[in-house]
Amino acid sequence: MLRQLNKSPVWILVCSAVLIVFPFVNDSRSLMILLTQIFILAIFAMSYDLLLGYTGIVSFGHAMFFGIGAYSTGVLLSRFEPTMLSLLISIAVGMLIASIVSYLVGLLTLRLSNHFYAMLTLALAGLFLVVAEKWRSLTLGNDGFTFRVPDIMRDRLSFYMICLILMVAVFFILLRLTNSPMGKVLVAVRENEARTQSLGFHTIHYKLISSVVAGMIASLSGSLYVLSLRFVNTSVFALDVTLDALLMTILGGVGTLIGPIIGAAIIEVSHHWLSELGKSYAIFERWIIFFGILYILAVMFFPKGIVGSLKEMRWKKRKTKVKTENKNKRMAG
Amino acid sequence: MLNLMINGLATGMLIFLLAAGLTLIFGLMDVLNFAHGGLFAWGAYSGVWVYGMTGSFVMAIVGALLTGIILGYVTERFIIQPVYGNHVQQILITLGLMLVLSEMLKVVFGPNQIVASPPDYLSGSWQLGDVVIIKYRAFIILIGVLVFALVHYVLKNTKIGLTVRAGVMNKEMVQALGINIKKVFMLVFMIGSAMAALGGVLLAPYSGVIYAEMGMDFAILAFIVVVIGGMGNFVGSLFAAMLIGLSGAFMTYYVPDLSLAVNMLLMAVVLVVKPQGLFGAKG
Repeated sequence: MLRQLNKSPVWILVCSAVLIVFPFVNDSRSLMILLTQIFILAIFAMSYDLLLGYTGIVSFGHAMFFGIGAYSTGVLLSRFEPTMLSLLISIAVGMLIASIVSYLVGLLTLRLSNHFYAMLTLALAGLFLVVAEKWRSLTLGNDGFTFRVPDIMRDRLSFYMICLILMVAVFFILLRLTNSPMGKVLVAVRENEARTQSLGFHTIHYKLISSVVAGMIASLSGSLYVLSLRFVNTSVFALDVTLDALLMTILGGVGTLIGPIIGAAIIEVSHHWLSELGKSYAIFERWIIFFGILYILAVMFFPKGIVGSLKEMRWKKRKTKVKTENKNKRMAG
Repeated sequence: MLNLMINGLATGMLIFLLAAGLTLIFGLMDVLNFAHGGLFAWGAYSGVWVYGMTGSFVMAIVGALLTGIILGYVTERFIIQPVYGNHVQQILITLGLMLVLSEMLKVVFGPNQIVASPPDYLSGSWQLGDVVIIKYRAFIILIGVLVFALVHYVLKNTKIGLTVRAGVMNKEMVQALGINIKKVFMLVFMIGSAMAALGGVLLAPYSGVIYAEMGMDFAILAFIVVVIGGMGNFVGSLFAAMLIGLSGAFMTYYVPDLSLAVNMLLMAVVLVVKPQGLFGAKG
């Protein structure tokens, strides 16, 4: 088990090294933009996985934190000089607002059953969407607005690097968090909350921390997302954003941190590919249906996701190996 | 003033039809059906379609009810049953179903809004002194009261209602007494879906247009109602729906931008003060 834990960071370091070199070898611009999108959404999906996979909380309003980050960055950068400083401040503001909102939501519902958190986040995300539509003086509604970004972010290559570094950083922060004693308590809450409580842990406390951290990281990914588009409109609050995160996490593997990254890659690539296909075949314009069906099937038959299933397979193999070894020993003895 | 009240009561009745199914299903099966709004929207679309084909509003209602029952059966049998007992999976899967249902609407009926109008004998209004009562709204309130009375009667006075109420309290015990609780689950799910579909078809002429995303919008209101009324509490959901309907009507008249926010605030207050719902006994 310990060896397995140590192996995955090595893998991610190797992969990120490959990804750092990648833009210098391949000069396809669209591929680089696609990869940048994948990094940003992987950050988002990992934050979602902290809730769903590690703590066992289902949130249907994760888009709200994504949108908070997106609008903080968009609004502040359009109001002030687009310097690095104002960008950093805007990201910090987004994370602050997201942490306050997630704290309040958690405080209201996390002591109740799972259903309440799911419902309240869904309703609240709907509320944020409506507010963003109506508060036209700030958001310009569904039309959205464009803004200027600091020069260093304008360069696609440096933006690619920044997103990559941030993704790896978030990965290691979350890895550290989930392997810490606190992370173990979160997993215990997921497995059996009543028992964790009876062991003397304030489970609500741990759940709150988990949801606040997830909200802040989601806000960071929202900020990055609008930086890549240099445009923001109300679609960042849409339910689709949450659903994407859900699908990435579930498809990739809940309760693993690599899973959401792989899921993000798969979903983004197939988004790209399906909307290309949609131009030639009308049926593919409704690709959300395919995602919906895929998602239902994944929940039903493939609940552990790609990484989870691979792990299980390896686990089983080792178990049978140990068993046969024992058998052989016994037979020899 | 009175007009606003009638307006609010009519909207409340529609939300009640949606929320009642939700709360019954939750109380009995412990399943929070996030796809309920999708059934609502399907009821609306199929009802309007039948109305367009036959020209009879009664047939439209029957068509919507049938759609609700069939979709309810399919959902329960193929989507809910396989993941029975696993809360996280249930929540996830019903949301996925919601997505598929509302996208399917766009495939079958086209992505544009569809205009709907009430039949001749229900359009127009009565004049009572200075008060104008729109006939169709009175009709919705009437239907809502009828459905409430019927379901309430069935729950309180028949054997099947007794089984359902017992099931809400203690599933294992009901099963131990030799009743196939799965059949009861399926029945309740179908009735709940039919009620949602009925709400949908009644909404269509009331709002004038129907669109694929309306399921989600109303589902959010229904969730608020379920939380305020208490999960699994049938009577509570009626009161909460009236409350939300009325507050919605008054707020849209006086401060239109805040109407959803006020409902959310109501829910937040209930969650803080009495998390089991205003009328609920169990959490």
